[in-house]
Amino acid sequence: MTNPFEDPDGSYYVLVNEEGQHSLWPNFVDVPEGWTVVHGEDTRDACLEYVERNWTDMRPNSLIQAMEDS
Amino acid sequence: MTGELADIWPLSPLQEGMYFHAEGSAPGADVYTSQLVVHLEGRVDPSAMRAAADAVLARHPGLRASFRRRKTGQPVQLIARECRAPWRETETADLTALAEAERETGFVLGSGPLLRFVLARTGPGHALVLTCHHLLVDGWSMPVLAEEFFGHYLGADRLPPAPSYKKFLAWHANQDTAAARTVWREHLAGLDGPTLLAPGSGTQRPRQLTRTLDAAPFTELARCAGVTLATVLQTAWAVLLGRLTGRTDVVFGSVNSGRPAELAGVERMVGLFVNTVPVRVRIREAESFTALLARVHRDRNSLLGRDFLGLADIQQAAGAERLFDTITAFENYPAPKVTGSLGELRVGAVELTDAAHYPVTLVAAGGERLWLRLDHRPDVVPDAAAGALFDRLERLLQAVASRPGEPLARLDILAPAERERVHTPPRAGAEPRTLGALLGEAARRHPEMPAVRENGTELRYAELDALANGLAHELATRGAGPEDLIAVLLPRGIAQLTAVWAIAKAGAAVLPIDPELPRERVRGILAEARPVLGISEAELASGLDGIWLDAVFPARPEGPLSLARAENTAYAIYTSGSTGVPKGVLVTHSGLAALAEHIRAHAGIRAGSRTLAFASPSFDASVLELLLAAHTGSTMVIAGPELYGGPGLAELLKRERVDAAFLTPSALSSLPATDLGIGTLLLGGEPLSADAVRRWAGGRRLLNVYGPTETTVFSLTATLAEKDPVHLGEPIPGTGALVLDGALRPVPDGVTGELYLTGERAGIGRGYLGRPGLTASRFVACPSGGRMYRTGDLVRRDDAGRLEYLGRADGQVKLRGHRIELGEIEVVLAEQDGVAAAACAIHEGAHGGQLIGYVVPEDRMPGSERLRGGLERRLPYYMVPAMFVELDRLPRTVQGKLDRERLPAPGRAVAKGRAPRSPLEHRLAALFAELLGIEEVGAEDGFFELGGTSLLATRLAARARAELGIEVPIRALFEASTVALLAARLDEQGETEPPLEPVLELRTDGAGEPLFCVHPAVALSWCYSGLLGHVDGPVYGLQARGIAEQEPLPGTLAEAAHDYAERMRVLASGPYRLLGWSVGGLLAHAIATRLRELGERVELLALMDAYPMRAHGAALGDPDVGIARLARDMGFTPAGEELDAAGAARMLTEAGGVFAGLRAEHIERMYAAYLNLNHIARTHEPPYYDGDMLLFTATRRAGEVPASYTDWKPYVAGDIEVCEVDCAHAEMTEQGPLAVIGARLAQRKGRA
Repeated sequence: MTNPFEDPDGSYYVLVNEEGQHSLWPNFVDVPEGWTVVHGEDTRDACLEYVERNWTDMRPNSLIQAMEDS
Repeated sequence: MTGELADIWPLSPLQEGMYFHAEGSAPGADVYTSQLVVHLEGRVDPSAMRAAADAVLARHPGLRASFRRRKTGQPVQLIARECRAPWRETETADLTALAEAERETGFVLGSGPLLRFVLARTGPGHALVLTCHHLLVDGWSMPVLAEEFFGHYLGADRLPPAPSYKKFLAWHANQDTAAARTVWREHLAGLDGPTLLAPGSGTQRPRQLTRTLDAAPFTELARCAGVTLATVLQTAWAVLLGRLTGRTDVVFGSVNSGRPAELAGVERMVGLFVNTVPVRVRIREAESFTALLARVHRDRNSLLGRDFLGLADIQQAAGAERLFDTITAFENYPAPKVTGSLGELRVGAVELTDAAHYPVTLVAAGGERLWLRLDHRPDVVPDAAAGALFDRLERLLQAVASRPGEPLARLDILAPAERERVHTPPRAGAEPRTLGALLGEAARRHPEMPAVRENGTELRYAELDALANGLAHELATRGAGPEDLIAVLLPRGIAQLTAVWAIAKAGAAVLPIDPELPRERVRGILAEARPVLGISEAELASGLDGIWLDAVFPARPEGPLSLARAENTAYAIYTSGSTGVPKGVLVTHSGLAALAEHIRAHAGIRAGSRTLAFASPSFDASVLELLLAAHTGSTMVIAGPELYGGPGLAELLKRERVDAAFLTPSALSSLPATDLGIGTLLLGGEPLSADAVRRWAGGRRLLNVYGPTETTVFSLTATLAEKDPVHLGEPIPGTGALVLDGALRPVPDGVTGELYLTGERAGIGRGYLGRPGLTASRFVACPSGGRMYRTGDLVRRDDAGRLEYLGRADGQVKLRGHRIELGEIEVVLAEQDGVAAAACAIHEGAHGGQLIGYVVPEDRMPGSERLRGGLERRLPYYMVPAMFVELDRLPRTVQGKLDRERLPAPGRAVAKGRAPRSPLEHRLAALFAELLGIEEVGAEDGFFELGGTSLLATRLAARARAELGIEVPIRALFEASTVALLAARLDEQGETEPPLEPVLELRTDGAGEPLFCVHPAVALSWCYSGLLGHVDGPVYGLQARGIAEQEPLPGTLAEAAHDYAERMRVLASGPYRLLGWSVGGLLAHAIATRLRELGERVELLALMDAYPMRAHGAALGDPDVGIARLARDMGFTPAGEELDAAGAARMLTEAGGVFAGLRAEHIERMYAAYLNLNHIARTHEPPYYDGDMLLFTATRRAGEVPASYTDWKPYVAGDIEVCEVDCAHAEMTEQGPLAVIGARLAQRKGRA
């Protein structure tokens, strides 16, 4: 069983949820509720590169907000 | 055998395969019976019925067959000239029981007829029960039989003649097997292993489950797709197998009628025609069922006309020992046309029972209702599992019928309970609290309880709290707060504990670093994590960048105001990455309270208990240790940093009266097996063995705790009692566990999948520090919403729904085309008795990769045979290591993980112990060496340890039978795999006989017509064995009668030739290929002539320096020269002419060679045959042969009788082709000449 996230030749999306968390996602599986495609489909490497560039603060959005408010 | 023989038939390949399995089965467990039950109403005339039964047997010679294996191992069916049908009349109230008893009563294959009729009075009516061995009939034959039976009963003489099964045997022999093999080889190319559903092949008689569905949706689906209903079912079966095995390339067997349309009258034939051929289906989840149907249909068409090839042949062509363990059969044979009124008799329902030897067989029949039957062998597929399998198939069928156009990925086979579990959110755990809050509360609740003991020093909670507050204020003053990492570079101890408390109280995050780590690694971690501050000792921190504080500050009653939230980072822990670069895992406070509460409740720890602090500070279990102590108000006993386990740790546990400890199974196994006095053990960090549970669970609580660093310490816990199977138990509150397949769908229970953990508000961590890409690929979107962490661990749910650990997904390797999870083997190996720890690796050697098991024994190294036996019970054969290597301990990485790279390559197991002694040992050792391609084999070397595989074992058995004349059952080889053990075992079975039988099977495998080699005057045909390297296909040696046992010798050469011709017809159906040396050449010529007389085809008649003797008046020699002359003809040089049989036997044995096993009695009989052969050859007048001849002449004829090919001209109608071989007559069977002869034969065969 090849893990669907580990296929170097596979096509992937980058998903983001409302907390700003990013997820790699294989293109052949339905996108789960609560997540939006922000990149792809694309190669695995390109998707990961997208994440590296765009997910600069790994704190969830609600925590960022709460920490700024206090 | 009843009565006189009418004929001897060979077996069809299918019969041969079935015979092989049937004779290997225990009596009564031979599953190959077919049964027909016919319900009868009205008046029945039993004697007319019995006559009808006899008439049916008279019509079909195949029904009068019994089966024997010749001494050569070759099976034949003996057709009785006439015999009555076994007939019984009885009364019964329970027809089902009667029918079952009939099925259970086996047949003795060697004594026919292999069928039984029972006419049973069943109260109001009658029933006719016909039970047949499957070797005689198949399902398609049964309606024919039933019709003929009732036809006869009604007095019909007008039945059309019945075509004989023999016609089919002849047809089969004429098929182009080579082309078919090529097609199958291509079809199965690239397959990476068998599709196996059951854990073993099973031995019990299959049980049956039946269901019926409305056929309309499926016939409609088939019609729209332009395929048959059978294809619809097979395709669904393929999809189901894929789901249940995790494979995307599946194979199963398909039973086809095997009745070639081109064979006239085939539909009226009675016999075994059915063939099981592989169906290979590659599943693409994005494809729809309809599209897959079309693909399966196309593949099937491409194989049409090739499915006559026997399964064994197909498997051989594919290079696979085994392809599948499930088969499907679509019974579209007609219902017997006997229902209705037959005079005063009314024939009611007809039931047909058929069985196969596979663990699972799916049988289907179409009609208004789709009738399905699932046969399962209960020892490998228990009733409940078979029922669940049937349920899944039904769900899948319903799904494809209603949504055939949807991608396969969307089709669901889950049971409602499984589905529910997926959608049930995790149980809520304790309200999230920060670590600082949890510690502060401990100090408030148990201020006077001892918090920590180290080398006799004891600190109360109030004291520890005050010390931590002092440091916490210092940290806060320096600006540390939420999301700031503060490194703690200290060994286990009060200072380190204080530091962690202080950081938590300041609301910052702990970055623990074990000072034992290599300096470079410490620098690397610091450079990446960039903590705002560090706490250490001057000595340890010297030379490191950053600001380093000492842990000791003036005590303060209150800590600073912590601003941390549950969602903030509590700690960051570095673990090794698969890429070799460590990565920092960020874990928040969210799950800590739930974890602490869960463990407290399950571990029975309370205020005043003593718990151990033993985990490395850079292992997240150290967080658990301090959290648990604080949460319960118990006392942490600190094991000094110098302690790694062993007696020192045991001593500490005892002296300090420790109640509970977290240990890794390795640390536990290092403890002496004395009473530790410890009440609770939390075991985790690596797989736990059943052995460890048995050993340590007695009289205490034992928890198996599981959790990757990426979750809040632990995610799953199981409380295990002594006899419990090892499992991972249940997720802790706030955490969820999903087992998903390669398309992220939940797998059914019992199926291996990858474990994913959910519950990010509680259970799973935030991600990897500074690695968003890596984080996004491991902490991923969950199909049911939120995020999940993918663990890379393989698990499955057992019957009770508990999770079983099966190893790492990334430990997957490939060996000879099989995908192997090393972790899975390791888990099973470690569970064997006497094994403390285990590892596995593949080592590439001269014979390809070899699976090696590494064992750290508890005491003495367990024997390989026992380990192998234990593993074979749990794992498929290809996952059982070829050899086991003993290690003192397993090589580990710095993080304590197994370091496979450092497992030593096994030294080649050379000549352990003594050299072979007895002739049998010598012969076995030579055979091992040849098959395994190694130079020397010692008496104590194991076949499998030297790299033998089960495929090679089969070849060993065949070679041993052909060349040594001994039966080596494969089972014997598994049980006694060294040369010495095997020889001893074979000796026990009786004196092994040299191959003196009339037929010597030099080689039975391979394609094409066999080559028959006729013995020379020496009476044996062993001399042709040197030919094997130069020709392909089967080779049989014909040997003189009367050697193996006393028998009348033929009076003329023609008489011998007639006998040999009959033997050949039993072995093969022609066209025939003959080769003979010397007297053997005369015989070959006479045999060929006889075969032609019988109407057979002769493809080749080849003679090796043989000439008609009367033609040139030559005498073969003086018949009275004695045994010395025989010995010389056998290639020996006796000292004188005075040699008796005993002396000759001694001489041959001393000489070693192939004749070493011959005894005096053999020599005597050989000599008698030798004299007789000389005599009948001299008086032989060759017959006239109406074909061609190939004559190999020896060119060195010095001192020998001049002879020429022209001598043959009067006896040969066709061409005589002469091929000169540069040797003397006596040298013709030496390697050089045989190479020339073999090459010429191969060339001719290519032309033929």
